[in-house]
Amino acid sequence: MSTRLYPLYQKGNPQLRVFLSNFWMKLVRPEHKQPPNVVQFHCSMEMTRYDIKNYLEKIYNVKSTQVNTRIVLGKTREEPGKGYVIKDDDYKVAYVVLPKDEKFEFPNLFPESAEKEKLDHDKALDEVRKNHQKYLEKNSDRPGLPGWFSF
Amino acid sequence: MFLNSICNHFRTSHRYVNGTLKERIRHVSTSPVMSGLMEFFDDEKNWGSSEVKTGRSWTKDDLRIKSNTDLHKLWYVLVKEKNMLLSMEHEHNEQVRLFPSPERLDKVLDSMENLEEVVRERNRAYYELETTELGEQPHKTVTGPFGLPVDYHETEHSIPKEVNAQWQKEQNVKCRPEDVKAFLLKYKEREYLENRRRQRRDFNHVIGLLNRFPKMDMEALKEQYPDVDIEKAKASRKYKPPVVFD
Repeated sequence: MSTRLYPLYQKGNPQLRVFLSNFWMKLVRPEHKQPPNVVQFHCSMEMTRYDIKNYLEKIYNVKSTQVNTRIVLGKTREEPGKGYVIKDDDYKVAYVVLPKDEKFEFPNLFPESAEKEKLDHDKALDEVRKNHQKYLEKNSDRPGLPGWFSF
Repeated sequence: MFLNSICNHFRTSHRYVNGTLKERIRHVSTSPVMSGLMEFFDDEKNWGSSEVKTGRSWTKDDLRIKSNTDLHKLWYVLVKEKNMLLSMEHEHNEQVRLFPSPERLDKVLDSMENLEEVVRERNRAYYELETTELGEQPHKTVTGPFGLPVDYHETEHSIPKEVNAQWQKEQNVKCRPEDVKAFLLKYKEREYLENRRRQRRDFNHVIGLLNRFPKMDMEALKEQYPDVDIEKAKASRKYKPPVVFD
């Protein structure tokens, strides 16, 4: 049978194996303050807590002692001016408890050095803008003249 | 460091064998060391950068020459990459930042789609050889509750359908026959009218084309509008080709 169609499992049959798992997991910043060994994930709706435990253990080599899951209802809102209601997708949240001695802190993905680089970039852009403005002012009384014309 | 030492080993041991050196080095894995949960995040040097340069996605032709084992390994590399990109994208959205190079996600998804298609191809070939049937899920066209044809994908059940009350109940969802008849009449009428309108529209459009472009390639026209009889279109009173003075 095809890769995505599994034979019906009946008691006594050999264990079914997943060859190409199409589950996904997102590691997200915890909404509320958690103990240092608790990690929050968003994952595929179909995943059970056993799936999550196995997924982390087999693919990422991360051991977990306990997994709790809940399903978050997507928000509904009225489309402004259209009159109909639209709903965001539901998603599953998993709280994975690592062994007692392990710690995980969500990293800061926006380091200050990069921020500074970005500021420099903005500064350079401002300079270009200022120069262009100067050029426009200089040529306000002679529109259409090319930049190389004057000294 | 470890990799370097291995490469050096190969360099010294295969100094005099031409051709094999390159092949030997290719067998050395260069995948990064497992780093647990940090694999859900991008490389630290890409944090905060505005652009991350990447190559193209894996095409079907690339994947067809790989072994099943390689494809299996590559699938999990792609799964990890997808998880990493989803995590990064989520965090960027949370912090109201621009996610750098979002086309990476499209490339990964494209690669995964291609990989799955290649695996299916192999599966189909194997089953055709062994059982003379494609190994795909069997499906057939059945009449649905509204009297229209519906695709039914067959699945395995633990008990035969004659004794499967649940399945029988699901199958016997039927509307009143007179309602189905009335619905089908209107449905088919609408289909018929749409078809007739399309034919008339195409016919008039072809006449317009012939009027505007008298030296047009007739073969191409016939290919694009197979339903239109071009001789009949030329006999129409609307057909007025421009007078050409040579």
